[in-house]
Amino acid sequence: MKLTEEMLRQIITEVVGQMAGGAAAPASAAAVDTDKPLDFIEKGPAQAGSNPKEVVIAVPPGFGTTPTKTIIDIPHSVVLAEVAAGIEEEGLTARFVRNYQTADVAFLAHSAAQLSGSGVGIGILSRGTSVIHQKDLAPLQNLELFPQAPLVEAETFRAIGKNAAKYAKGENPNPVPVKNDPMARPRYQGLAALLHNKEVQFLDPQKKILEVVQG
Amino acid sequence: MLIAGVDIGNNSTEVAVARIGAGVEFLSSALVRTIGLKGTLRNAMCVIDAVDKAMAAVSMTRNDLDLILLNKATPVIGDVAMETITETVITESAMIGHNPDTPGGLGLGQGVTVDIRDLTQTAPGAPCIAVIDGGVDFREAAEMINAAVARGIRITGAIVKKDDGVLIYNRLTSPIPIVDEVQHIDKVPLGMPAALEVARVGRSIEKLSNPYDIATLFELSPEETRQITPIARALTGNRSGVVIKTPKGDVQERRIPAGTITMVGETAKEAVDVELGADAIMEKLARVAPLKEIQSQPGTNAHGMFERVRTVMAELTDQPVSLIKIQDVLAVNTLQPQHVLGGLAGEFTRGTAVGLAAMVMTQNIPMQRLAAKLKEETGVEVEIGGVEAEMAITGALTTPGAEAPLAILDLGGGSTDASIIHRDGTVKSIHMAGAGDMVTMLINTELGLDDPDLAEDIKRYPLAKVETLFHMRHETGAVEFFDAHLDPSLFGRVAILGENGPIPIMHDLNLNQIVNVRRKAKEKVFVRNALRALEQVAPGGNIRLIDFVALVGGSALDFEIPEMIADALAEYGPVLGKGNIRGCEGPRNAVATGLCLSRKGC
Repeated sequence: MKLTEEMLRQIITEVVGQMAGGAAAPASAAAVDTDKPLDFIEKGPAQAGSNPKEVVIAVPPGFGTTPTKTIIDIPHSVVLAEVAAGIEEEGLTARFVRNYQTADVAFLAHSAAQLSGSGVGIGILSRGTSVIHQKDLAPLQNLELFPQAPLVEAETFRAIGKNAAKYAKGENPNPVPVKNDPMARPRYQGLAALLHNKEVQFLDPQKKILEVVQG
Repeated sequence: MLIAGVDIGNNSTEVAVARIGAGVEFLSSALVRTIGLKGTLRNAMCVIDAVDKAMAAVSMTRNDLDLILLNKATPVIGDVAMETITETVITESAMIGHNPDTPGGLGLGQGVTVDIRDLTQTAPGAPCIAVIDGGVDFREAAEMINAAVARGIRITGAIVKKDDGVLIYNRLTSPIPIVDEVQHIDKVPLGMPAALEVARVGRSIEKLSNPYDIATLFELSPEETRQITPIARALTGNRSGVVIKTPKGDVQERRIPAGTITMVGETAKEAVDVELGADAIMEKLARVAPLKEIQSQPGTNAHGMFERVRTVMAELTDQPVSLIKIQDVLAVNTLQPQHVLGGLAGEFTRGTAVGLAAMVMTQNIPMQRLAAKLKEETGVEVEIGGVEAEMAITGALTTPGAEAPLAILDLGGGSTDASIIHRDGTVKSIHMAGAGDMVTMLINTELGLDDPDLAEDIKRYPLAKVETLFHMRHETGAVEFFDAHLDPSLFGRVAILGENGPIPIMHDLNLNQIVNVRRKAKEKVFVRNALRALEQVAPGGNIRLIDFVALVGGSALDFEIPEMIADALAEYGPVLGKGNIRGCEGPRNAVATGLCLSRKGC
């Protein structure tokens, strides 16, 4: 797989956009719906829940603001709506937190699980990489892992929410089928690295984990 | 003289090494998996492996041996097959009866089916049921229903393609029952009277599974009520269901022709249709016993199965296929999850199927060729020893507390064998089709696993439900705690407690379901065969006249089969238990031990 001129141009635009001044970049393309930032309201430090009916979803700080869509252009608002729908369909509720401390999907998901009243949490990176986690596991373990962001589609997010809720209920769900495409890595690696860089820039150790609600 | 007794079985090869002088002194034993079909040259590999293993245990090599004794393997091969004999067919989309995990709402709704997009043009008044296809998002659907209700349209229920039942329900102003995950929603006829029911969690529908309630809802005549009875039956046990009244709608249970088999006994001959089920086959079989041969109708599924067994046996023994006779069958009724033909939601029913195990016997298994090959490979003298049944009895008699007359039940993988030794030393033996392999097949099909290895594990080991990462509940109800957390792949799952730790079952099956299927399969095969076999070897066919029964063979090691057989035999009063060969081997190594003992005093 070789980098096409178009891709190179895309990467350069992104980098230039970044250098030109962080948050200004998405505004230029705000006309397109998928670039609309998420209307997140931060509600102060997230508390550990005691409700066995909840599944906590953790996202990194840039999620929904600086990138507003996943690596395959699923708007972040859709991502969260689908995951929440999957949880609701199973009769549980979703709670959202924004973790300013890590951009590592495993630690992100683990932090969600530890806050979750059911002990089950989901971590979703801006590019779409996701993990279903359980509070008693070590951070680098998981219940289900979706490592290749380019293959995580809108339906996958619904299924992730559904399965997380099933784990929370103590049911025995079939794992969401994980797709594997050997070409995803060469095709998207450069872009993924860039997106990760962007993600890391928004980390803020002072802010810890904040409860968020969608406005 | 140092000799090794070798028993080549269908699944495992066992060795006993003994020094023969004035008496017999056993030195060691070994067990390996049989390579290749029993009695073929490929066995040489596993025989040498087993002998080496046994000799290594006492720090010797096979060159120290004076003689290798092979059992005269009973030329028995079992094979198993499954024939589905019923299927359910729905015509004209008369019903939807499946079990979505999460339907929405509760209760019964009745009305005419209407596409949700047409609700805006529907006149208020007559009740209707909204049909929501994949193109409508759950938010839109809820809004459209709410808007229609606001206009005075009576919506009594909804049928949804996607898994959106609860999502829509949560957004409605007035609650209605919703059946979701209906894959082929485009086939739901519109403008037809329909009724829809959702039961509460943990219950099944009551109205639509009762033909008189359906008759009440649709004002049916007695004749029409008779016709909808299969629909009511098909919906029984579901949490949600839909019945649609279409002009020619119907549900039928159809029988699939599986072929006729003709059983030829010594004095009688009986033909039976496989589709009549296992009981009919076994009844006819008992009438013609002892069985000499089975003929089957060419071109049918039953024929295909019997031909396969014959072909394998013919190749093994270098005989023409026509000379191979089937000498026992075991037929078992089973249920197989099946797609309903014409179903709208990918419904499954549990179709009836017949499992068949067949057994073939010949007089001519090529043991001499194997013996010659082994001699060439090892440089040790190789002989073929006594008859397997006699050797097994001799070995079993080394069990402390056992004496003649003694019956043994050899529960293997391919066949169940019984032999009895009378006080005067005469031995009678019988081979029955159906054993461990058949149990595996039954578990595989009844649970719809499509994975024989998993079915094999389910057969062999008990189960537990992993409730948290730190504790599991065993199938007995006992709870076990762990200090370190379990593997994450086990979380929430039913696990098989195998020798190398728990294995998760990645299927949506609950623990009780699996345990029931497993126990039933073992009962159908082993308990039935134990009784069948003992009846045939018992004096006068009366099991009460047998005093001692010892279980040997691989399946005797099973964690529950011995107790099942003990329960079944309790009323006949014999002493029954697992053999304990030489007081140390448990139910294994009987034939190998018997072979060594047969050379006592040489």
